[in-house]
Amino acid sequence: MTTPARLRRAVRRGSLGVDLWAALNLVGTLVRYLSLAFLLPIAFAFGYDEPVLPFALAALITGAVGFALEAATRGHRNAGIREGFLVVALTWLFAAGVGALPYLLSGEDQLTRPVDAYFEAMSGFTTTGASVLTDIPSVDRSLLIWRQFSQWLGGMGIIVLALAVLPRLRVGGRQLFEQEAPGPEIEQLAASIRVTARRLWLLYIGLTAVLIIVLIGLDVTGADRRMSPYEAVAHAFTTMPTGGFSTRPRSVGEFGAASQWTIALFMAIAGANFALLYAVVVRRRLAALRRDEEFRLYVALLALGSVVLTLELVDKGIHEGEAALRHAVFQTVSIMTGTGFVSADFVTWTPLAAVILIGLMFFGGSAGSTSGSVKVVRHLLIGRILRRELDQTIHPELVSSVHLNRRRVDERTLRAVVVFVLLYVGLFAVGALALMVDAARTGLSLSPFEAIAAAATTLGNVGPGFGFAGPVGSFEPFSDVSMVVMTLLMWLGRLEIIPVIVLLTRSYWRA
Amino acid sequence: MRILIIGAGQVGSTIVEALHEEHTLTVCDLDAPRLAGLSHRFDVATVEGNGASRRTLQEASVGEADLMIACTSRDETNVVAAILSKAVSPETKTIVRITEDEYLEAWRERQLDIDFMVSSELETAHAVTRIIGVPAARQTDVFADGQVQIVEFDVEENAHAPEVLSLPLREARIPQDSKVASIIRGDQVLVPRGDQRIEAGDRIIVIGSPRAAQEWSRILAPEHGRVDDVVVFGGGRIGTAVARMLLAQRIRVRLIEAKREQAVKVSEELPSARVFHATGLDPDFIERERIGNANAAVFAMRDDPKNHYAATMAKLHGVPFTIAVVHDAYSGEVFERAGVNVAINPRLVTAEEIVRFAHDPRTLQVAMLEGNRFEILDITVRETSPLVRRPFRDLPMTGALIGAIVRDGAAIFPHGANELEPGDRVIVFTESSRVQEVERAL
Repeated sequence: MTTPARLRRAVRRGSLGVDLWAALNLVGTLVRYLSLAFLLPIAFAFGYDEPVLPFALAALITGAVGFALEAATRGHRNAGIREGFLVVALTWLFAAGVGALPYLLSGEDQLTRPVDAYFEAMSGFTTTGASVLTDIPSVDRSLLIWRQFSQWLGGMGIIVLALAVLPRLRVGGRQLFEQEAPGPEIEQLAASIRVTARRLWLLYIGLTAVLIIVLIGLDVTGADRRMSPYEAVAHAFTTMPTGGFSTRPRSVGEFGAASQWTIALFMAIAGANFALLYAVVVRRRLAALRRDEEFRLYVALLALGSVVLTLELVDKGIHEGEAALRHAVFQTVSIMTGTGFVSADFVTWTPLAAVILIGLMFFGGSAGSTSGSVKVVRHLLIGRILRRELDQTIHPELVSSVHLNRRRVDERTLRAVVVFVLLYVGLFAVGALALMVDAARTGLSLSPFEAIAAAATTLGNVGPGFGFAGPVGSFEPFSDVSMVVMTLLMWLGRLEIIPVIVLLTRSYWRA
Repeated sequence: MRILIIGAGQVGSTIVEALHEEHTLTVCDLDAPRLAGLSHRFDVATVEGNGASRRTLQEASVGEADLMIACTSRDETNVVAAILSKAVSPETKTIVRITEDEYLEAWRERQLDIDFMVSSELETAHAVTRIIGVPAARQTDVFADGQVQIVEFDVEENAHAPEVLSLPLREARIPQDSKVASIIRGDQVLVPRGDQRIEAGDRIIVIGSPRAAQEWSRILAPEHGRVDDVVVFGGGRIGTAVARMLLAQRIRVRLIEAKREQAVKVSEELPSARVFHATGLDPDFIERERIGNANAAVFAMRDDPKNHYAATMAKLHGVPFTIAVVHDAYSGEVFERAGVNVAINPRLVTAEEIVRFAHDPRTLQVAMLEGNRFEILDITVRETSPLVRRPFRDLPMTGALIGAIVRDGAAIFPHGANELEPGDRVIVFTESSRVQEVERAL
């Protein structure tokens, strides 16, 4: 482990293996461009006649910070593979800071604590959807749309977006892409990373547009009068990135059945591999879905969760008929993909339902989707690794390779999968323990189950927890220390742990 | 026909042996003593030199040859020789022996201007899988894309098969879509007329559909059962090809390979095979992995003695049926004498396949049974044949038998009322001495 004092000395001596200045220079560029994101809430503020100043000021500060970073590190422009980890990790920390600016500048009563504002912003960019807000309707609509929009930006990834549009990232982008894109292996859609990033973003924008049109259509046709154009845009912004922020206090539960079914479908789509979606939508190869082993397991798990929950809801008489099926499907899809929308307050459901939902938090969607958590493909590979390991215990001479979609998976990738799952479970345990200890310290009434749920929901970028942090509750009661712990968990979860953990090793910093 | 043969190794000399009586042969090789040995035994012209050089080809007067067979042990030499020969003399047909599937793929996609290509590995793998499909068979061969199968069975002395044994053939319950082509009793060959009987101790040759062949195997040797668990020793090209074909027939395959990297490669190529990194000679391993429970084992390691040892060990552990791929010309007899059920020599298999093509161009395939005693011909019937449009029951009974007709791609197993039509492909079983006669008649 590297202590700051040692690091300072190493920087002075010039014996550092990482070009810190080049990394900061690139982060500066990325942050500078992030100021453009405020154009959207500024437009909404004008439209609804709400204060524009917080956003304008935030844009100014963001731009200034970016320029300052660039200026301070002028001439250091050759960030390479090593620097990639640092760039990605730092960019996401900065992005959450940038995202928190409007919350603080707007003087919104519920977000005056910087820790809370930063938590809310991190929850936004990492598409978690956990919130400290207790009274959503009192918040300005432009501020809410910024909150929704931050999830949309974070979903496909701000660095992937930068790769698609910034000329500066023309070289060495693959490393950055790998650190940010979810899943054990990235699937390139084109020969160049740049074109791949562009296609992914265009597909993402296209799907979001389709969802907005469908939701507005529900309003126009009278299928769901509560889905106004504003709500349609706001919820599309948080459905496609499997984010889960809502502009309504009771989330999607306030809308009609048609809207709930539509959003459930699009959450399921958002949890599928975008490279696969690209093959289906653009190249019209529907058979690709049936052939993909991860997609098959993903659908099977969604179906299994839905069926069990439906039976439980009907059996215990909580819902019946279409409503039971709808809420079971919606909640399964929402929790498994890490969206975190709620159609009904599942805290009041049965203990079995609670256990199922917590379990689903550990699955996640597919690799290469916008969802969080472990991802279905890792479960699939872990299962195959285990089976092979047991097989080789009985047959020591057996030589066997693990295959996925009829292609052999590299042993190195398999090791990375095992390491990831170990780190994931370890971080989850440490996180849950830290929350419990901190709750005991501050006298907060937090049951072990609620602590587990809070750690799982933040690390998995899901959103709602259980107890006071449940679907209709808020994370506001947590102490500052707990908020910092959960913010770190969200950050680690979104970047899939390893790019961040690597920064804590000595070998990363040494020449 | 004038034939130029490049390569005088095992394959080349086997081809020479099969073709020298009817054709004018020129053999080309780098090795002078080999050529001398060949020209002492057979009446052939020889040219010393590299077959892949234009000068040598011209010296061997490739321009006058009707057919050029490139069958050295090196793929590149064979391919280059064939391409040069096409360039020098476009009229000359070319046959190439290869070991690497890569060339076969390119040839099938018409990227190589070669008339016929024979892959040793593939032919051997075919031979092994055919035998495993009909485990009681001594020898078997398929025709017409696998629709027609010819099988040679030994009827055991203690065989119990009341359906077919000791009954006049016209009363025997012979499996549907099959015919008895010949009965061999001691040195005698019996023409299977209706009053003839199959007795225990006979050797019989059956022609029919693959299903019928399996049915025969079940009747004559019920103890063999269906083979569904095979162990392949050796993960080289032949071993891998055999394993792949067996897996395609939904047979469980365990493959044992001594080299780690090779074992890993095979496990990647054949995910459904169970691949072990072991020598296959270690009794502990054989015992632990219950190799003895397999129905059959195939020995496809590089080394003949090693194969022999492993096969004997497998027998000791209870594997009932062993097939060895042998490399040395004399190993076959040694293996079979030592109790290995079937020995297959890839070079002989390859040579046989090449000879098939070298025969009459109308004759698509030939196979030899019982040494050279019988041949199986695949002939297209001419318009002018005197046998056309006459019911089978009226055809004269000779030493030849039409086992199957391939019409529009489908196999018909003829009965008395069927008639031949011009353009039919017929699979004929005949004594070797009558081949010319049969070819003339059809």
